Amino acid sequence: MQLTTHTTPSGFLLPSIHAAHAFFTEQPNPITQNTFVNNWIQLILSYARHRRLFVIRVEDAEVAGGDWDEVLRNERINRRVIPSYLTSLISAMVSRDLAYYEPPKQTRSVVLLWRLPEEWADVLHSWGTATGQINTILTMYEITDPPVPSPLSGIPLSLLRRAITVLTRSGRAQLIEVADGEGVRLLAGGK
Amino acid sequence: MALRRYTTIVDGTIPISALLYNDEELLASQDNVGIYDGYQKAIDHQSGAIHVTTHRLFFINTRSPATQSFTMDLSHVIRTDHYAGLFKSSPKVTLFLDANSVSNSGDENHVDARFESWECEVCSYRNPPGLSPAAAQVCGLCGVPRNAVPAPTSQTPSEAPTPLISFPTSSTSLPGTPSRSGSPPHGNGDPDSIACSACTFLNHPSLRICEMCFTTLPTVSQRFEYNKTKSAPPSRPVSPVSTAADPANLLIKLSFRKGGDKALYNILKRALKARVWEGRQIGKVLRNGQSNMGAVSPAGSSTPAFLRTGIGGIIENVNASVKNTETELSDAFQDLEALMVKARDLVQLAAELNEKLNASSTVASTSRSASPLPPFVVPSVASQSVPNSIFAVTSLVPSAEPEEAKFIRSSLSQLGLQMTNAPVTPDMIRDERRWIEELARELAGVLQGTSDDVLGQKPSGIMRQRGIVGLDEVWGGWNRARGVALIPPSTFLQTIQFLPDCTSPPIYNRTFKSGFRVLHTPPFTHASFTARLLGYLMLSEVLTTSQIAQEENITLSLAAEMIEAVEVDGVVCRDDERSAIRGGGGGGSDSELRWSLNTFAEYVWDGQTFD
Repeated sequence: MQLTTHTTPSGFLLPSIHAAHAFFTEQPNPITQNTFVNNWIQLILSYARHRRLFVIRVEDAEVAGGDWDEVLRNERINRRVIPSYLTSLISAMVSRDLAYYEPPKQTRSVVLLWRLPEEWADVLHSWGTATGQINTILTMYEITDPPVPSPLSGIPLSLLRRAITVLTRSGRAQLIEVADGEGVRLLAGGK
Repeated sequence: MALRRYTTIVDGTIPISALLYNDEELLASQDNVGIYDGYQKAIDHQSGAIHVTTHRLFFINTRSPATQSFTMDLSHVIRTDHYAGLFKSSPKVTLFLDANSVSNSGDENHVDARFESWECEVCSYRNPPGLSPAAAQVCGLCGVPRNAVPAPTSQTPSEAPTPLISFPTSSTSLPGTPSRSGSPPHGNGDPDSIACSACTFLNHPSLRICEMCFTTLPTVSQRFEYNKTKSAPPSRPVSPVSTAADPANLLIKLSFRKGGDKALYNILKRALKARVWEGRQIGKVLRNGQSNMGAVSPAGSSTPAFLRTGIGGIIENVNASVKNTETELSDAFQDLEALMVKARDLVQLAAELNEKLNASSTVASTSRSASPLPPFVVPSVASQSVPNSIFAVTSLVPSAEPEEAKFIRSSLSQLGLQMTNAPVTPDMIRDERRWIEELARELAGVLQGTSDDVLGQKPSGIMRQRGIVGLDEVWGGWNRARGVALIPPSTFLQTIQFLPDCTSPPIYNRTFKSGFRVLHTPPFTHASFTARLLGYLMLSEVLTTSQIAQEENITLSLAAEMIEAVEVDGVVCRDDERSAIRGGGGGGSDSELRWSLNTFAEYVWDGQTFD
């Protein structure tokens, strides 16, 4: 049986390994398991980027019908990722700094870093530059939910703050405390 | 024997003073006395009172005075001995009895005669009854012996057999009767005729051999001795008891359970010295005559010539052989007991020797390694450590010669004298190695049957059909085959190390990750199994554990162990049915694993990419 790639209804090209039964089982052999985990992480991050999904939860493996069904389940071979396996995949991602627990101090839901905070910072800065909002004070809401869709639309607040922190450190943004919240002013300076 | 031969039963319910002769005197009494018949305890006479008189010794049994009491004439005693006692052993007085004297049936006869008065032939004095046997032989008035007159005439036909029997009758019947048998019988039949012990023919009393069958007739004395036991018919005497001159038959011991031995012993000695019973010379002459006539001495030179003929001879022969066997048997047992005592010594010696060897070898090694002592110092140290050992001399050599020490120790262990608590040393292991190898050979037989065939089709054996067997099954099967001298697991584990050398094809031992141990043939080594498994998976892509087990004809758990061992190498990967969307285990722990080749080691991402 030759394993083949498969394109999902959402237009995502699933890798051929996704059609292997063993791919859905945690392997005791560390070498084999490492290969599988690497491919799982790439698959999850690719799909997240494809669908602009920022969060994955253990519930996604427990309950069908979520955003992740196309990846976590393979109806063609009658296989799915069981929750305990997803938990271990999530923790593997966290340990490789490809995700972080959000909210913290729990292990059932993570924010996926298919772009690292540094990359998001660049995206934020270039978006501000492109939209002429340098030196303008922006609220968080204006960034995450702009009237014109942007690459930053729907970004989780915690991830946005990390990106702003990166910009602040390099002098390209300033975090401003206002009465009913906080704002950010993008600065033209920097590298 | 001695009891039966020398004593006569008295009725102990009668007060002791009433049992005495008129001229007899009670000297001393002692309670709580037990009797030894020879060297053995007389079971029926273990508690009673002993009475010493001038003539006799009385034993009145406390338990059954009527039947188990007896009296013995002091005339039988030739020597006495006193034993003071030690710890739990009571003081004892030993009475050595005269081999030539027997229980005086004549006297016994006089027990009846005692109560008859008789008239002296010479002076016509009517002698009163109740005198002692010796005294009763002599007329109380004139001092003439009782049978002085009739003796010359009456003794001619039947000289000796029943000299004393005449006395009771002499007072009533004619003393000069030519033959005793001629006298009218009183009671049922002639009391003098002797019944043959073999054919029961009533023989003339003067005969010593049965007229019909040539069996030796019981002597008169024995007959009378028998007669006093009331239950037996008077005309059916027992077969003659062979009363050999065994020293054990010639002594009686009095055991003084509650003391009083010394006082009684002194009185007894005095009574024996006084010899009051020897009233007149005549009594002794008569007794001597009788003892000569009694066929009690089997050593008699004249009798054996007769004994070898007829039924009597046969019976005698049989008796002799039985007696021979008995003595030989008892001798053999004595040897055995002696050997057992020796064996304990031998074991002790072995222990000592072992200790010695250990001590000497350690001393030798330390001295050799630590300080360059002169070689003669070593033995002296060794012998000082166990100075009392008789092996001190032999240990000198082994300390310098490990080879000899090894030999001695191996010989000891071969003799079964190996000390279990002795530490296992390399030289012992070397000797044990041969044993283990022998065991391995035996185990090979159990596993592969008779090792005639090189490949498969073994007629019997645990592994005849299977290439891989659990160690527990092998151990159980082997011990079942042995039946005795079962092999402990530790030895078993040692043995299987030698197994590949004794088996063809070689059988190896293998331990899985879980601790499960197996014996297997070459086809079931890890490498061979891996190759086979990969072949199966190449053909059928995915196989469950049970399918593989079926294919290999091994148990499910064993297959799982082996596949997991292959999985460690990373060449196969598993698929747990629990991760199925529909059906499957649904989370159960017993869901089946499916195996496939691990083709993902070189996997390159072929899914969605972003530029």
